[in-house]
Amino acid sequence: MELIQLLLNGLSLGAVYALFALGYTLVFSVLGVINFSHGAVFTLGAYFTYLLIGGQAGANGLLAGLQLPVALPFALALPLAGLASALVALLIERVAFRPLRQRGSDSLLALISSLGAGVILVNLIQLLMGAESYAIPIGTLGSLPAALRFAGAQVRTVQVLLLAISVLLLLLLSVWLEGTRSGKALQAVSEDPVTAQLLGIDSDGMIRLAFGISGFLAGVSGGLVGLSVSIAGPYFGISYGLKALGVLVLGGLGSVPGAMLGGLIIGLAEAFVPAEWSGWKDAVAYGFLFLILVLRPQGLLGRPLGTKV
Amino acid sequence: MDAGLLEQMLIGALLALSVYLPLRCGQLSLATPGFFAIGGTVAALLSTRIPIFAGTGATSPLPALLLEMTLAGLLAGLLALAIGGTVLRLRGIYLAIATIALVEILRVITLNLSFTGGALGIFGIPQPFTTTAGYAGFTLVLLALVCWLCARLEQLRLGRAMAAIRDDELAAACVGIDTAQVKLQAFVLSALLAGLTGALAAHFLNSWNAKVGSFDASITTLAFVVFGGSRTWLGPVIGGLVLSALPELLRPVGDLRLIVFGLVILLGPVLFPQGLITPQGLQGLGHRLLGYGQQLRGYGHKLLVRVNGPRRP
Repeated sequence: MELIQLLLNGLSLGAVYALFALGYTLVFSVLGVINFSHGAVFTLGAYFTYLLIGGQAGANGLLAGLQLPVALPFALALPLAGLASALVALLIERVAFRPLRQRGSDSLLALISSLGAGVILVNLIQLLMGAESYAIPIGTLGSLPAALRFAGAQVRTVQVLLLAISVLLLLLLSVWLEGTRSGKALQAVSEDPVTAQLLGIDSDGMIRLAFGISGFLAGVSGGLVGLSVSIAGPYFGISYGLKALGVLVLGGLGSVPGAMLGGLIIGLAEAFVPAEWSGWKDAVAYGFLFLILVLRPQGLLGRPLGTKV
Repeated sequence: MDAGLLEQMLIGALLALSVYLPLRCGQLSLATPGFFAIGGTVAALLSTRIPIFAGTGATSPLPALLLEMTLAGLLAGLLALAIGGTVLRLRGIYLAIATIALVEILRVITLNLSFTGGALGIFGIPQPFTTTAGYAGFTLVLLALVCWLCARLEQLRLGRAMAAIRDDELAAACVGIDTAQVKLQAFVLSALLAGLTGALAAHFLNSWNAKVGSFDASITTLAFVVFGGSRTWLGPVIGGLVLSALPELLRPVGDLRLIVFGLVILLGPVLFPQGLITPQGLQGLGHRLLGYGQQLRGYGHKLLVRVNGPRRP
């Protein structure tokens, strides 16, 4: 394969990982917990997108043969799927996180309850839509050509689109976090929720906001991956979710630029694994993760970990 | 009860204890399925490739099983010893993620090496027991032994040091506990237990592949402990027994069973933040049972009085 295609593959994969990891990061920074239902919300986003563009449910689920009366263009279906995923993420916050937080329970417990929420979602999808794989047809992109000529090489339009949308979202998120009042408020909550509350910031509201945005990002990246690779079944978000954990730690837990850098590194590294070694590709992210934990546990851009007395 | 289900429950309880050991000193390690997978692979390889382990026909000798379990436990323990020093410097969620990565790396390795059978795994592992009941009996004895050891451990210096580290690592270090050493010992014990359980499970399941040690398994085993309670050894045992039986018991609900399983995992921490079994709960139960006992004695006494008439001085 040509270098430019490899590079683009790596970059777009990395951008998806970064989006995914940012969803983890947002929730982690305000709650100090990894939200294990994130992968399921990602999967859900892909299915929402598929249904919204007018895709038909397969024969094996309860919804067999269902088709929405309207077939939206992809440009509209994707943000809508993102919004629907955000609502689900808010619901998860309400059911799996808030009761534990109000009681001041160990954060380990939220890890488990969020996982339970994920298990429910994934199996609900399987029940309704069956275990088969779905593909979002390229035709959804309307008049866009399937491939573009770029610097003398053929590249898939989908990859370019994936990269462009991801980068746009990453930029928007950074601008929001650094440049707006509510973004700063979120940072304050991540620093210390109680103090932030005392200073007049609605900590609970910011936590909900973090969940909403993280769900939106997950839904959108699910839809994008569904378009570029296909939806391999209800469990397809899990492997992305696990790798995004690697991305997260590589960049530094709780660091937004870190999540982007980590996504880029792991995406590129995976893309450049030679085809004859493709079976080992999955180990790349975890290998990196393991190395960084041993050498620099706070991650590339994270703050050093101190011991609190 | 179905002996196969019982065996699954017992294996679940053993794995739950393996997760419990590091958690007793506050270390959230999700590496148990990785060591479980290693143990199973060791047993599967030995008993399908080496004649003295394989035995004759479809049955393999019991001493071979014991030797395999020892070797599997030792190998898993050695690996834990080798990586433990590095990994256990990590705290909290970092340790959890590192151990998830470890499990995934081991899974990819097993998937890609030719002698572990790749994606298909190893088939036709010989059976040391002719019936499922044989397995269940053997595992019951093993579980009882491990429970006894864990109960002893909680009374020993090591067990108390573990609890001290869980409650406050810094304070534990200040009173002279070698925290790194204690954590490492707990991690190695956990790996050893997972490894030998894997060797047994490989025979029981008859085939072994990379899927055994997956992220799902990490989380399920953790759920055993969180559901049952991580303060005393009985918690993980109960959690392991109940949650391993649950998907099977829910079979009548059909397609809904995994959703119900998810609901249990979701609501467990919300309803029982300490887990089902806590030392205080056990104490309360003990007092209540004692109370019932005394009440019963009272009834018995009244009954005797009614039958024999009041006792004369």
